Amino acid sequence: MNTSVLPEDSTTGGAARPLGGDGAGRSGPAARRRAVRLLGRVLLHAALIALAAAILVPFAWMLVSSVKRDSDVLTVPIQWIPEEFRWDNFTHIWTRIPLLTYLGNSLFLSVTITGLQVLTGSFAAYGFAKTRFPGRDALFLAYVSTIAVPWQAYMVPQYIIMERLGLVNTRLSLILLQAFGAFGVFLMRQYYLTIPDEISEAARLDGLSEYGIWARIVLPLSKPALAGLALLTFVNTWNDYMGPFIYLTDNELWTVQLGLRQFVGVYDSQYAMIMTGSVVSVLPILVVFLAGQRYFVQGIATSGMK
Amino acid sequence: MRRPAKVLTAAIALALLTAGCGSGGSDTTADGKKVLRIALWNYDQTPEFKALIDGFKAKYPDIEVRPVDILSDDYSEKVTTMLAGGDTTDVLTMKTLTDYARFGTRGQLQSVTDEAAKLDKAKYGGLDAYDMDGEYYALPYRQDFYVLYYNKSLLKDSGADLSGLTWPDYAALAKQQTRGSGGSKVYGTYQHTWRSLVQAIAAAQTGGDLLGGDYGFFKDQYAMALDLQKSGAAMPWATANSQKVTYKTMFTTDKTVMMPMGTWFAAVLLQEKAAGNFKDDWGMAPLPQLTADGKATTFGAPTAFAVNKKAKNSDAARKFLSFASGPEGAAAVAKIGITPSYTDEAIMNTYFSNQGMPSDDLTKKAMHPDTVKLEMPISEKSSDVDTILTEEHQLVMTGEKSLDAGIKEMDSRVKSEVG
Amino acid sequence: MSPESGATALKRRQRRTTLVGWSFILPNFLGFAALTLIPVLATLLLAFTDWNSYSTPQWVGLENFRRMLDSDTFWVALSNTGWYAVGHIPLTLAASLGLAVLLNQKLRGVGFLRTAFFFPYVTSLVAVAVVWNMLLSPDLGPVNQLLKAVGVGHPPGWTTSTDWAMPAVVITSVWRDMGYYMVLYLAGLQAIPAELYEAARVDGAGPWQRFRHITVPALRPTTFFVLVMLTISSFKVFDLVQIMTEGGPGRSTLVLSQVIFREGIKQGRFGYSSAISLVLFVIVLTITVVQFRFQRRNER
Repeated sequence: MNTSVLPEDSTTGGAARPLGGDGAGRSGPAARRRAVRLLGRVLLHAALIALAAAILVPFAWMLVSSVKRDSDVLTVPIQWIPEEFRWDNFTHIWTRIPLLTYLGNSLFLSVTITGLQVLTGSFAAYGFAKTRFPGRDALFLAYVSTIAVPWQAYMVPQYIIMERLGLVNTRLSLILLQAFGAFGVFLMRQYYLTIPDEISEAARLDGLSEYGIWARIVLPLSKPALAGLALLTFVNTWNDYMGPFIYLTDNELWTVQLGLRQFVGVYDSQYAMIMTGSVVSVLPILVVFLAGQRYFVQGIATSGMK
Repeated sequence: MRRPAKVLTAAIALALLTAGCGSGGSDTTADGKKVLRIALWNYDQTPEFKALIDGFKAKYPDIEVRPVDILSDDYSEKVTTMLAGGDTTDVLTMKTLTDYARFGTRGQLQSVTDEAAKLDKAKYGGLDAYDMDGEYYALPYRQDFYVLYYNKSLLKDSGADLSGLTWPDYAALAKQQTRGSGGSKVYGTYQHTWRSLVQAIAAAQTGGDLLGGDYGFFKDQYAMALDLQKSGAAMPWATANSQKVTYKTMFTTDKTVMMPMGTWFAAVLLQEKAAGNFKDDWGMAPLPQLTADGKATTFGAPTAFAVNKKAKNSDAARKFLSFASGPEGAAAVAKIGITPSYTDEAIMNTYFSNQGMPSDDLTKKAMHPDTVKLEMPISEKSSDVDTILTEEHQLVMTGEKSLDAGIKEMDSRVKSEVG
Repeated sequence: MSPESGATALKRRQRRTTLVGWSFILPNFLGFAALTLIPVLATLLLAFTDWNSYSTPQWVGLENFRRMLDSDTFWVALSNTGWYAVGHIPLTLAASLGLAVLLNQKLRGVGFLRTAFFFPYVTSLVAVAVVWNMLLSPDLGPVNQLLKAVGVGHPPGWTTSTDWAMPAVVITSVWRDMGYYMVLYLAGLQAIPAELYEAARVDGAGPWQRFRHITVPALRPTTFFVLVMLTISSFKVFDLVQIMTEGGPGRSTLVLSQVIFREGIKQGRFGYSSAISLVLFVIVLTITVVQFRFQRRNER
């Protein structure tokens, strides 16, 4: 199962061929081809930018709403330019709710959970991808299949266990709950499958233990997958509402997503404040994403093939 | 595989050992005060809880009150989960009657029948709703019911009299008052998307049974609502629902002249006026009726406090219930524009003396309806029936089903799925 | 080496590898088993009981399942969930793969573009629901005006119509999720050695051929992962439907997770809601196992 899936049958003539780009020395058709390619790139670029702008329309609405009055947010027809710009929404929100505390809590949980998920997930994934033992595949299936049960179905049994452990209303409850999920294990296992076994074989012959292979060979090779996992885990934890809602009761433990829901009242909601807060809470994600996506650079991974 | 198995066993043993120690704070403070924990919602944004707790603390200085703050949106889901885990919070706020029915029938609440007996029934409304086979497991402290809000500034020149409206009068007035178009359109009335605004009104005023499985009595009310949206005098239901239109926006941005809504909206309007977000004058009128016989029948929903069966501090919890539902609690909530369950002359005077509260005769009449029926009777079937009626309401209001077909479907689904 | 001692050595080595394998898995497994696996197993057991979260569960055998088969709502939700999955899985897969391949190039401002396409996933759900409903509004929405302009006489009513509400939800969910899976694909693309492409280019392979013969086969483990996650998340879809249509109009977008939530935590029929979860679980598991088999056959 854990064989390399690098295509042996593909069109490679072997990496031994000289790398020369296409027709460096030729003229005429090559120059025209280059021009066509340039035009194609420009067009592609323009299309992507236009598409990105269209994709961001709801986000733009969120931004516009964040500087409105509550009663101007949900209007028919939609109001794209506010009648009056309430920039002070962005100063008020820090005093209306203890937003800084909430941001701190969210950050603590997201960083801790992401760290643990990446660490234990990638560690366990090595066990599933690169070691063999009886029952391994069945265990893996058990991991994956728990993802198939909606959380709404088992949240009460889970809560009862947590209550028995005396962990309800502590940060630890959420960390334990979310740091050991199946998602990271599955993601990393799939990535490890693409790393050729020859590499670890060679390391084994050099006398490296399995743990050494994981730490010194496999982990450095899987930086893009680790970045992807970290990014998605961070965002999911940051945006999670129901988990913190059920497990955290004390206000000083609340996360941003809980804090913002305070503006949703029984009879009436303060939508401008919700949108202002949403904009503020998205900024850390922006930073994390911009930092993390730099690992997705073509060519960062060397094949490791001899 | 032996070592991991050992570790696993050790971990399970550890889990079982720690299982003994429960969570939750202690029931007394360091200086010996009793601690009373109250589950409630959005503490910072809901002034009534603070008003009640401050009043209670002033009366019982030896009790330390700790609010257990839960987000209102999913309040009942969290309380359900907490109670399943054996939570010991003393007082639980019963947000809806459906919640009350569920917690009560499962035996998760203490009987407070003896506390109820101490209350002056002549002045105390809404208690009947909490009768479960002769026992009460919660005591209401606020009693909201529906009235007709109107924008005095918009209606000023029309000379319209809203004192004895029938539904046809109301529909005619709504059509007459509709003006403008596009972004500046002002609708004659706004009926929010809830099914109650058609169905509970029909049930309260015709005497129809919302759980009965025979919904012919909805017909006139639906016909009127559909006609209002077709004629353009009310915003189409589909628009209001899909654009998540809020009734507060409709009323405070002058998009509607009239609006049937619950008495809680008065407190919202007071806040909006105080904040300078709403400049117009407004008033309340009794809900329009089937006939112009001068009697006002409306429907409402009480909110109550209950004592957790596993409360750590039942005595203090009972004291809190009596306080909140009695005259002192009523005065405290009336002071912030909320309609208490316990009412008398003095309390209503407090209510109307709120800054910005209209005190004309029509508003006073609206605040004294002759009959307040329940929004939804309590029964084991209530929430299943509610689901079906909501789904079919959507289909009728979007025009996906004709009125007759919709009512027929309600009848047959309630009969076959709930029984 | 005598044959016996060889066998013992083999056995010892096997035991060693088993131990090593488990030692990798254990740190994660402990947390996973205690707080996910056990509650999940408990839920699957509760499917055969009558339980209101407070009393002791009563064993009722297959009663919950009998009730489920009789329930109109269950079948409606099952078929809605199926339609959602049929629309959501292929569209999201195609969109996210396409975006990832395009945004894996050395383009100016690629960081910004990737962020932009990921942002739907972090935009507030309220904003998502309002703006998409506005875009799809039957009378004044830009989508329908465009459709009218190109000659569609009766454009759909989208979320206000029972026939079109599900397509509207699918479109919105593809828009929201594609950035998420794009990230997974971007990570997968980094595992493809650049030499493969260079060699293919030397051989005269065009962009499409390189995509077809290098990218697609090399991405197979990622695609497998994305496909399994997409399948599972499609069958479990909850938040977006809840905020966008709440299952309406009528029951036209009601999905299984909503029924599970409603029956369980809202109505207190945890046995019944667990039974529905069990059915959902079996469906998803079957699909996943088929996907696993298929994947393994391709690997050989």
